[in-house]
Amino acid sequence: MPVESSFQRFRLLACAAWAAIFMTAASAQQEPEFYNDQPYAYGEWNIGRRMDQSEFRYCVDQRDPGWKQDGEIADAIAGALLLQPKRYVTPSEFAVEDLTKIYGILLENCDVYMGFKLIPSGYPPWVAVTRAYYEVGYAFVTGKPGINALADLPAGRPIAATGGTSAHVRLVSYNISLRPEQRWPVFPYGSDQLVLESLAAGTADVGLLWATSFRDMQQQNPAYAGLRIISSSPLPPTNLGVGGLLLKQNTFLRAAVDDAIKALTADGTIAAILNKYKTPQTGKP
Amino acid sequence: MTIQSLLRSTVLATTLLAAVAGTASAQAPAAATTALLNQLAPVTDDTLKNPPDGDWLMWRRTYNGWGYSPLDQINKDNVKNLQLAWSWGLSPGGTTQETPLVYNGVMFVQNSTHLIQALNAATGEMLWQYQYRLPDGVSPNGVRTKAIYGDNLIVATRDAHILAINAKTGKLVWDQQVADVKKGWGYSTGPIVANGVIVQGMTGCGNAQPGGCFFTGHDPKTGKELWRINTIARGDTPEGNSWNGIPVEARHGGSAWISGSYDPEQNLIFAGVGQPYPWPAVLNGLLPKNPDPKYTNNALYTDSTLAIDPSSGKLKWHHQYLANDTLDLDYVYERLLIDLPVNGQTRKTVVTSGKLGIVETIDRVNGEWLWHKETVPQNVVSSIDPKTGQKTINPAVIPAVGQTTFNCPADPGGRAWQATSYSPKSRMLYMPTVEFCSNTVLNPVDQGQVYTGGGLATFNRVPVPNSDNNIGQVRAIKMDDKTDAWQYRQRAPITTSTLPTGGGLVFVGTLDRKLLAFDDTTGKLLWTSPTFTNSIESFPVTYTAGGKQYVAVVTNWSSGLGRLKLITPEIALPQHNPHEVYVFALP
Repeated sequence: MPVESSFQRFRLLACAAWAAIFMTAASAQQEPEFYNDQPYAYGEWNIGRRMDQSEFRYCVDQRDPGWKQDGEIADAIAGALLLQPKRYVTPSEFAVEDLTKIYGILLENCDVYMGFKLIPSGYPPWVAVTRAYYEVGYAFVTGKPGINALADLPAGRPIAATGGTSAHVRLVSYNISLRPEQRWPVFPYGSDQLVLESLAAGTADVGLLWATSFRDMQQQNPAYAGLRIISSSPLPPTNLGVGGLLLKQNTFLRAAVDDAIKALTADGTIAAILNKYKTPQTGKP
Repeated sequence: MTIQSLLRSTVLATTLLAAVAGTASAQAPAAATTALLNQLAPVTDDTLKNPPDGDWLMWRRTYNGWGYSPLDQINKDNVKNLQLAWSWGLSPGGTTQETPLVYNGVMFVQNSTHLIQALNAATGEMLWQYQYRLPDGVSPNGVRTKAIYGDNLIVATRDAHILAINAKTGKLVWDQQVADVKKGWGYSTGPIVANGVIVQGMTGCGNAQPGGCFFTGHDPKTGKELWRINTIARGDTPEGNSWNGIPVEARHGGSAWISGSYDPEQNLIFAGVGQPYPWPAVLNGLLPKNPDPKYTNNALYTDSTLAIDPSSGKLKWHHQYLANDTLDLDYVYERLLIDLPVNGQTRKTVVTSGKLGIVETIDRVNGEWLWHKETVPQNVVSSIDPKTGQKTINPAVIPAVGQTTFNCPADPGGRAWQATSYSPKSRMLYMPTVEFCSNTVLNPVDQGQVYTGGGLATFNRVPVPNSDNNIGQVRAIKMDDKTDAWQYRQRAPITTSTLPTGGGLVFVGTLDRKLLAFDDTTGKLLWTSPTFTNSIESFPVTYTAGGKQYVAVVTNWSSGLGRLKLITPEIALPQHNPHEVYVFALP
């Protein structure tokens, strides 16, 4: 085996090991100075107990590109549990929100908030997560001819990545392991939209973003028609399970929802919904 | 209608009814009230330059940022007799880091719900209130301070508005939206008025807001924006090229979340700027270093003092304390303008410190770095250049993917937004500090498509190895020779600013719900308050009303140094975080 290949394999193994370590080691708190690090809902002491036990109350968020299929999966979960589905579409237009915001939403509007990426140990102690109802990946995309994999991108050419995601962290840890002359500049953008805008503007050659976002934005904006998903090689794909969040005390419901997801996966219901929405489940090219 | 909306409507309706009822019933009972409000003369530039001893007209009371009151009715001899004079309940929920302002016997407070109230500072009687309605989705949190200028109270809001409210009537005069809260902008601190211009710093410049934060200058008559200066350098200049070659749209941070100080002689504001976001440099693009020599990765103007002309918004000079901050160390706090002896000469200086607790002094005429003094145990900076102040960072503490680093201190800092004060009487600096370390790990924030606000690092806080387990301290430093005068240590974190007075006292509040008073020269604990309803994370003030001196403080747990309750688990605090104003006086 060539020495270079051995080193590359070592780097990938090291990268994977680092990612595994940090993903399990990280506890849930994130504490920028301007966010609350403990959940709080305005007037929370006035929010009473729900009385109607015949409904499966779930939340979806239109800002999430996967909200339609998540909503339909929630309807299917309700059906499996013999409950009436009651959908609450979060009416917020904020670009980014602190995770603690969902505390009040769960307290007041729904029992399960659909559409959260399941990062091990990635949640605060006041929430519980369901099992994943599907898995989606992050996608490397480009409009440059001749680039069919990340490995084809010449050193020194910039990559635009949605900052802070698991895929971004994996890319950065791999990039740092390279010799300086082999590295790519990685620009951390604040949103998937900005990543695609940077590609359209020519600021970066390759983008890294949530595959479902790419699907939606490419469908909606002809400026992105020429972009395509490429292989993440030499990196392994970064895929994450997607599930729902509950308040931690809802252990009984969580167990029931998990059973329903298991059954709906087994009978092909969830796969049919994902096919209907052309959900890019793994971000593969 | 959501419960939140319903509650707000109810509050609004109640407020409106109260306003109507107040007008109707104000005839007789309000004669004294009216008289108290009517005697509020317009606040001028001269008033702000030389405020009456009994008033507290801006965040740190005076333009020099000292946080010192010359009042001496309450002093070392009689402080033991302090009693509760009155108290006032503030709206519960959220947090507040309140600095009550007091002008000629009237106290102004801002509730976390943005209910702004005028109180009789001698009795606690409410004089008027104005409810600013935060939009749905904006959490009701307080704003650290306000300003008074002309006839108006100037208030910043969590949804990035600046308001002028008539100080006599409580009626809104103007409302200026400066930025879009839906894109992340907001205010957590209020403005300073300098040379007739309202100067306000913006925060909330995380991953939703490319290009970073800014300061703006506003016309106090209308609120109209006069100028804007970015806290993240731009352009093909050494400063603009200090971001490792990252395009402006991918630069984040530089929050201006603490009010500055003002030097009328130079007509310059001195204000701090926070760190890059996200904190870890491997994730914000500042590491690895760009090999192109055209670029540096210092990330100007983060962790700097900016000297800004308030009339024009021009940046006269800057000094960066910490280049490429990868640990959320925030050199953003108060700027103390003190004339100090340096090498046999009196220098006009700016004194500040970041979360590292390293006191640093620069020349406020030209930005030249002069000296530093370390306080809390820290392992982040391994050396400081004695001529430039440039810091060498211990490589072992730089966060890296897949590793746990051990940092002393970490967020929320060896000191946080609780301001350090200076007494011209003792010529000492009084610094509230905490000692702790952190096992720090990076973490991704891709849980939900929009619920990604966060810092990309987790701080698991622990006591300093081999410490005496006293987390909180008050440190007194002689500024003429940089020596320690005294240090008070206790288990509970110190969680308020220090308040030195002409009576030779230094007041501070604690996480375990007490207000303390020390002898300013010896550090002897002279008085401990009864136990309050909640911890005290705010800015205590002192003032006179009717010729009598009072000391006021707002209780609440406010997510600053109070986060260290994680390592003092024996300190229990009440649910739902109640907020109150407590006012003490001599019998």
